[in-house]
Amino acid sequence: MASSEPSSQPTQVPAHLDPKTYPRTHHNPTQNIHITLTYEPLNANTYLSQTSSPSAGANILFLGTTRDTFEGRSVSQLSYTAYPPLALKTLAGIAEAAMKTHRLEGVSIAHRLGTVPIGEASIAIAVSAGHRGAAWRAGEEVLEACKEKAEIWKREEFVDGGMEWRANADRDAEGRSLGNERV
Amino acid sequence: MSETFTIHYFATASQYTSKNTESLPAPLKLSALFDQLEQRYPGIVEKVLSTCGVSLNGEYVDVEEDGEVVIHAGGEVAVIPPVSSG
Repeated sequence: MASSEPSSQPTQVPAHLDPKTYPRTHHNPTQNIHITLTYEPLNANTYLSQTSSPSAGANILFLGTTRDTFEGRSVSQLSYTAYPPLALKTLAGIAEAAMKTHRLEGVSIAHRLGTVPIGEASIAIAVSAGHRGAAWRAGEEVLEACKEKAEIWKREEFVDGGMEWRANADRDAEGRSLGNERV
Repeated sequence: MSETFTIHYFATASQYTSKNTESLPAPLKLSALFDQLEQRYPGIVEKVLSTCGVSLNGEYVDVEEDGEVVIHAGGEVAVIPPVSSG
């Protein structure tokens, strides 16, 4: 296959790893569903304003921010990669299921990719509903479903050297080990 | 030039292969995919692929149940390790 890349770079960067091909979005105006994959910082107000409406009395925003330790080891840097052909579909499916289950007025899910500096948001979830009960429940359900299913991977680099790819299935919502971590 | 399909690796799969993507000879039956990868990257089936999903052209497939499905030239396969968003 012909390549214009110099021979020192034998493999081309696939489009899904090229930040120039982002943001990638999915929008369903009928259901007021917004999905965003971006290499830019997440702006919480953007996602809240996407889901809020005159008929929504409860608007929940969850921001997941990057932490500086993993089991006592200092994390110097985190980065995320995604496979958008699957991730956008999976996230849209999660949003659609939540709309139906909780009769929401809107759902927005945004995930940041590439390097995310410590303390900045890697995921933003906004849900709006008529009343707070449904909104709280939906917010948690959407987040847990994202962590379980979205085709996105976190890599942690440590201050003491080394790096590890994380797997959400190894931890519960309180950060406790579920005892199935692979060596 | 021989015909190929594209295969993308993520997370532990890209770590094991030291690649994000490559081209492999097409056509190839799904049932032969893991053998093909094991030949190239000895140990990958046990250490990585046993916990991974596989997609073909944007849809999940089962390399055993869908083993007769053929990956054609120009196809796009992805190896999907356990995810870690959020």
